Amino acid sequence: MIEVDRLRKRFGPVTAVDGLSFTVRPGLVTGFLGPNGAGKTTTMRIILGLGAPTSGTALVGGRRYQAIIRPLRQVGSLLDATAVPGGRTAWSHLLSIAQSNGIGRHRVTEVLRLTGLDTAAPRRLRGFSLGMKQRLGIAAALLGDPPVLMFDEPVNGLDAEGVRWVRQLLRSLAAEGRTVFVSSHLMSEMSQAADHLIIIGRGRLLADTPTDRFVESSARADVLVRSPRADELAALLTGRGAAVVRQDDGGLAVTGLDAPAIADLAAAHGVPVHELVPRRASLEQAYLDLTEGSVEYRTGTAAGEGTPSR
Amino acid sequence: MTAPQAQAARPPAAVRAFDVLASEWTKLRSARSNYLTLLIAAAVTIGATVVVAHAIASTHGPPPPGPIDPLTGSFLAFAEYTVLPVSILSVLFFTSEYGTGLICTTFAAVPRRRAVLAAKAAVTGTAALVAGELLAFAAFFLTQAILSGRHRGLSLAQPGVPGAVLAAGLVLAACAVVGLGLGAIIRHTAGAIAATIAVIYLLAAACLLLPSPWNARICRFTLPVAAYQVVALHPQAGLLSPALSLLVLLAWPGAILIVAAVVITRRDA
Repeated sequence: MIEVDRLRKRFGPVTAVDGLSFTVRPGLVTGFLGPNGAGKTTTMRIILGLGAPTSGTALVGGRRYQAIIRPLRQVGSLLDATAVPGGRTAWSHLLSIAQSNGIGRHRVTEVLRLTGLDTAAPRRLRGFSLGMKQRLGIAAALLGDPPVLMFDEPVNGLDAEGVRWVRQLLRSLAAEGRTVFVSSHLMSEMSQAADHLIIIGRGRLLADTPTDRFVESSARADVLVRSPRADELAALLTGRGAAVVRQDDGGLAVTGLDAPAIADLAAAHGVPVHELVPRRASLEQAYLDLTEGSVEYRTGTAAGEGTPSR
Repeated sequence: MTAPQAQAARPPAAVRAFDVLASEWTKLRSARSNYLTLLIAAAVTIGATVVVAHAIASTHGPPPPGPIDPLTGSFLAFAEYTVLPVSILSVLFFTSEYGTGLICTTFAAVPRRRAVLAAKAAVTGTAALVAGELLAFAAFFLTQAILSGRHRGLSLAQPGVPGAVLAAGLVLAACAVVGLGLGAIIRHTAGAIAATIAVIYLLAAACLLLPSPWNARICRFTLPVAAYQVVALHPQAGLLSPALSLLVLLAWPGAILIVAAVVITRRDA
């Protein structure tokens, strides 16, 4: 369980995290989504005690991270997979982390096998690809067999096979009852991996919702209809209770009636239909719509400040 | 994997301190470049010691402007070719973690950052002490063997000699911890190396430029002058006594570690 309460973090004039509150529950994969610079990494760093919050609290298992004895046994984390010492071997790197929390050597062997790095154990990290470093970072997070796991962008740099492996790993970790908190800036990735979504923009909470509910609410299905007698058809459709939005190119975006009903209605009144396309807004689009406000706000403010007075 | 355990047994503080020490020792010994640098430094020190010893041996009579201390002459090469590379390695032991970002992994594993600082200092200090004693004794015996051919050699049995040779090894440990502490404070490799060189060499040279008697009054508190007094067979008058100089020698790494301990917990990693 991770509890973040009214968390704020300022870096000079910049407010990176602005009154963020959310709870990450055990047994689920919780996706932490937001555009670049939304404050995901800053939030995760504060949870791990790597940065002090300006105000507010972040608790893991009811305690501040700094107060946890041998924290790797409670919280496993991967922040930056490339932050490894190039001159050390995978084995000695993991061993040094394990030793700091009194974790035995056999567990180092175990996590190396679990992440498919057993043959790479004696190799120096300088020669590791980004994908291998991601696996190594995940191996380090798993060392303490912790009930809480946090990963910052764990699929960055992974190939398709690696992405699928991470997704399955996240699922199985959550299925074992662990709290799994994963950040990403890609909705497409999170919609497949996460049970719950926490979406932020500009350091503020935008959505805290189960993934399937977000998918449902964001699936703005409509039907695109084109007709040479569009006005007549629009009147007919609104008469049946459908909502019609006229597109710039003359097409009609219809919600409230499905494609067969629209076709039947048009046929019954002898209105020709040239095109009839059921459309589903993508999840990615819904996410962009949601976060766009926060991005727009930022650029809008900047432009406003920079624009000469008229 | 088994179901997650919510609570683990709380190990005693001594066990946890030992864990952090073991972790930092693994880091120190697993970097191949540390061995290479140390090996090269040792080889250069031995080679240069031979050259210096022959140079001292070939001088006839009391060399101007004053007598070369028969003991410090053994450590001239050591002071340059061992102290500098080992101090820089110690700087890197901290700054390389900041450079790569590994420090976040380290502090996430051990949130009590002062424990990390203490463990790093203990590990580097001990390694430097062992290397320092080995090389100091090697330099001493080598120099005296060459000088004894001219009937000017010292014996380890002479009073004051064993303590001074031991102290030479200690100087290396002190300089290593200075480097480590400045690495923790400054975090950037180049800046921390510059600061370390300033403390272990340049500060004393700068003090000597001050008008008399202030030059001697201030420079006796600098690390290299204190180190000279501790290692010399005939300590110079007008400077601190060897015992006080030993305190000064240890106060430098001590004070730097205290500053590091204060700033390390106050800053974001």
